Amino acid sequence: MTAAAISVATLQPDSAGPMLSVGNLRAYFRTDHFGVHRTVRAVDGISFDVRRGEIYGLAGESSSGKTTLVKTIAGAIKPPLEVVGGTAEFTFLPGYDGLHRAPAAELARIRWRHLSYIMQGSMNVLNPVRRLRHSFVDFARPHMAGTETEFEQAVIDHLARVNLDASVLTAYPHELSGGMRQRVTIALATICRPDFIIADEPTTALDVIVQKDVLGMIRGIQREIGSSVLFVTHDMGVHAYLTDRLGIMYAGRLIEEATTAEIFRAPLHPYTRHLIASLPRIGDDAPRKGLEGAPPNLADPPPGCRFHPRCPLAMEVCSRSVPAMIETAPGRRVACFAVNGTKQP
Amino acid sequence: MLGILRDLLRYNAEFRIGTVLVGFVLLLSVLSGFSPYPPQDVYVVPPDVPPSPAYWFGTTSRGQDVFWQLTFAIRNTLLFGCTVALISRILALVIGLVSGYKGGWIDRVLMSINDTFIVIPLLPILVLFYFVMRDSMSWLMLALIMACLGWAYDARLIRSVAMSLKNREFTQSSVFSGMSTREILVQEHLPYVMPIVFSTTMNNMIWSIGLEVTLAVLGFTDINTPTIGGMIYWANQHTAMVAGVWWWIAFPTIAVVMTFIGLFLLAVSMNEYIDPRSRLSRMGRVTS
Amino acid sequence: MSALLDVQHVCKTFTRGGVFPSRRIHAVNDVSFRIEAEKPEIFTIIGESGSGKTTLARMILNIEPPTSGALLFDGIDLATVQSSADRMAFMHKVQPIFQNPFEAFNPLKRLDRYLFITRRRFLAAGDDADIDIAVDDALRRVGLSLKEVRHRYPHELSGGQLQRVAIARALLSNPRLIVADEPVSMVDASLRMSIVNLFKTLRDDLGISIVYVTHDLATAYYISDRIIVMQKGNVVESGEARAVLNAPQHPYSRQLRAAVLLPEVAAAAAPATTSS
Repeated sequence: MTAAAISVATLQPDSAGPMLSVGNLRAYFRTDHFGVHRTVRAVDGISFDVRRGEIYGLAGESSSGKTTLVKTIAGAIKPPLEVVGGTAEFTFLPGYDGLHRAPAAELARIRWRHLSYIMQGSMNVLNPVRRLRHSFVDFARPHMAGTETEFEQAVIDHLARVNLDASVLTAYPHELSGGMRQRVTIALATICRPDFIIADEPTTALDVIVQKDVLGMIRGIQREIGSSVLFVTHDMGVHAYLTDRLGIMYAGRLIEEATTAEIFRAPLHPYTRHLIASLPRIGDDAPRKGLEGAPPNLADPPPGCRFHPRCPLAMEVCSRSVPAMIETAPGRRVACFAVNGTKQP
Repeated sequence: MLGILRDLLRYNAEFRIGTVLVGFVLLLSVLSGFSPYPPQDVYVVPPDVPPSPAYWFGTTSRGQDVFWQLTFAIRNTLLFGCTVALISRILALVIGLVSGYKGGWIDRVLMSINDTFIVIPLLPILVLFYFVMRDSMSWLMLALIMACLGWAYDARLIRSVAMSLKNREFTQSSVFSGMSTREILVQEHLPYVMPIVFSTTMNNMIWSIGLEVTLAVLGFTDINTPTIGGMIYWANQHTAMVAGVWWWIAFPTIAVVMTFIGLFLLAVSMNEYIDPRSRLSRMGRVTS
Repeated sequence: MSALLDVQHVCKTFTRGGVFPSRRIHAVNDVSFRIEAEKPEIFTIIGESGSGKTTLARMILNIEPPTSGALLFDGIDLATVQSSADRMAFMHKVQPIFQNPFEAFNPLKRLDRYLFITRRRFLAAGDDADIDIAVDDALRRVGLSLKEVRHRYPHELSGGQLQRVAIARALLSNPRLIVADEPVSMVDASLRMSIVNLFKTLRDDLGISIVYVTHDLATAYYISDRIIVMQKGNVVESGEARAVLNAPQHPYSRQLRAAVLLPEVAAAAAPATTSS
């Protein structure tokens, strides 16, 4: 068996099925101010699975809809955002089609124990006027059995995994550097050994040197605990470094999905190919070009394939019909008429 | 402009109600031009007549028609409020914007003056002015004095908005585009400051009218020019409530309450409309 | 050779704590470099947050005064630029590009306004038709056109387009130096290279020197001529860009270089080898 085949084999879903299953999810922003109606189709028919123990990366640029997708999966739906159709179901909370429909009691049960978050700004999570110990007590204590001393020891042991000393527990958030705060956030999110972690741009605001450290820690803890991670960022370098599989989003739709190695080695969709080709590398003097045009306005997207106005391979059918995500090879899906041919499945 | 008004009327209930109330009050003041009786005259009609088809709002103990008196009173009171609001807005805007944008010693000097004006106790000062200037205290004079006392609070609000705007990158873009300070303040910053100016204008009008009514009721203004406060003053002089002439006090009070509520509703609904965030989402930018 | 920009031992210290300062922050510590007038170049300042690079950029733009040292532009000490006529003359020659394209213009106002005002204020008046042509020219240089931008509000364009409009605006005064502070960090990766390539064109075709402030080593490698690396206010390494980035000497530069994440999956770190 070739190396590629081995890596695909180890990623086969086990008998329990995927950890997160998103099926044809559609979520729109509907605003109505003084008679001006606007529907922004931020997430328009997305389907993918996140398997047990894998780091699934979600890549996309501004107005790709990835932030809205993550919010919808996490159940953070507030008007004007509405889920118009589809499902986003976790195996540990079946039956509701998604967190946004589940009752508060169920959500309290799964939060932090089965599902946790690593957010972009650590200050979104840590209470600035309380010492860090309180954050651990507030978030994790309800889910962990044992005495106070046992809990304290578990926290200290866990902090050591992210190279933090027990002394940070007595500190306030502003007394730590940004990198240390983010490591505390990771420790908080992983201490209850959750089944699923949603990480939304956790290292974007960090310095390059600290970022590499923090990413390494995320990977280390993830391997140890065996959680699934949905890692969202626009930074392709981070995806290359960390993720197992990668899904590329464009204008509210998923357009390509494969193992990370495959995506960087041989991207198929014209957008992905342009994106990868345009990234500059140190030591490489070859001229690089940016993409022409601009991402579409999601309130008024182009008909058919949303990339067709900027696509060098655009055909007549691309402006009429929406290409479906078709599996071209085991574990690889692409939504493009030029790649798949014009037959619909 | 008309498009804005039409939008507001169509979609905003508060604006509709506010317009109706203020419209009614304005109609009353316009009618003052048609009054058959000069405002200062007394004993032109039978006194103490309750509201009836002949005299809609009744007559006062001084022999004046309450309805026609009210038209003059509400007109003068509104004019007074508008004058104070206008002059004090201009002062507050100029001082607030310049102070916030320039910073440094200009800011410190202006804000020291500002804080001095904030702590001045209003009522005793106004009473003092009245006693000093007794005869020459016309309502215009009073309006000027109140305008000079009423700008300080809002200047600070405007200054804090100006300070935050100074740090935004588009201010630097404007500077490097060659715009002068005056142009930047008026063209770039003013739209952000307008919602504050609007709500404080209504506030200011309500405050000045309220203060004027207070002074008039106490007799500390020119009581011969009819104003709402003046009417209530005379009603008290003739012990109207005790004598059962309730219509003398009731109708001026209702008129001024309608004015306040109407102005408030207009301010709130216009504010929501011109607030930059709401403008932006109407223009199409989805604010998260 | 005369210097276009001469930064001489510039320091900037911020004090916190009111009348009796308790903390001094040395944002910029004894930085010196020269950009020659005859040879337009792209001069890059690399640093992480807290390195002082933005403070240095602001001093070059005369937005902040240095605590000590001098900055000379075309031989004129920036400390002597006081009157509004002097400042206009300075801004005529030196223009900024800021990091956040969405904040570069007032969201409530139309974009073309800034372009017309810049052209009117800095160059001899012309009638409306002349100004339209000049603005259209500047926009075409950056890959847009007046037709696309006229009467538009900032939110109607993407980050990449907005940044290009900002560059067009900067070009309208015919500057000799452009100071770009993280110009592409908030622009999508797929649109980034067109702007970065644009800087190259400005240097080659228009002879404009560019001070490029960034933390992104990859784009710095791609377009810089010379480079300085800043750490906590000090310059730790400087030299010819390719040389410094291919083989950094200072430990901090080495750390930076090693931390750059390549957009490719290293075979050795094949992630899917552990079972789930």
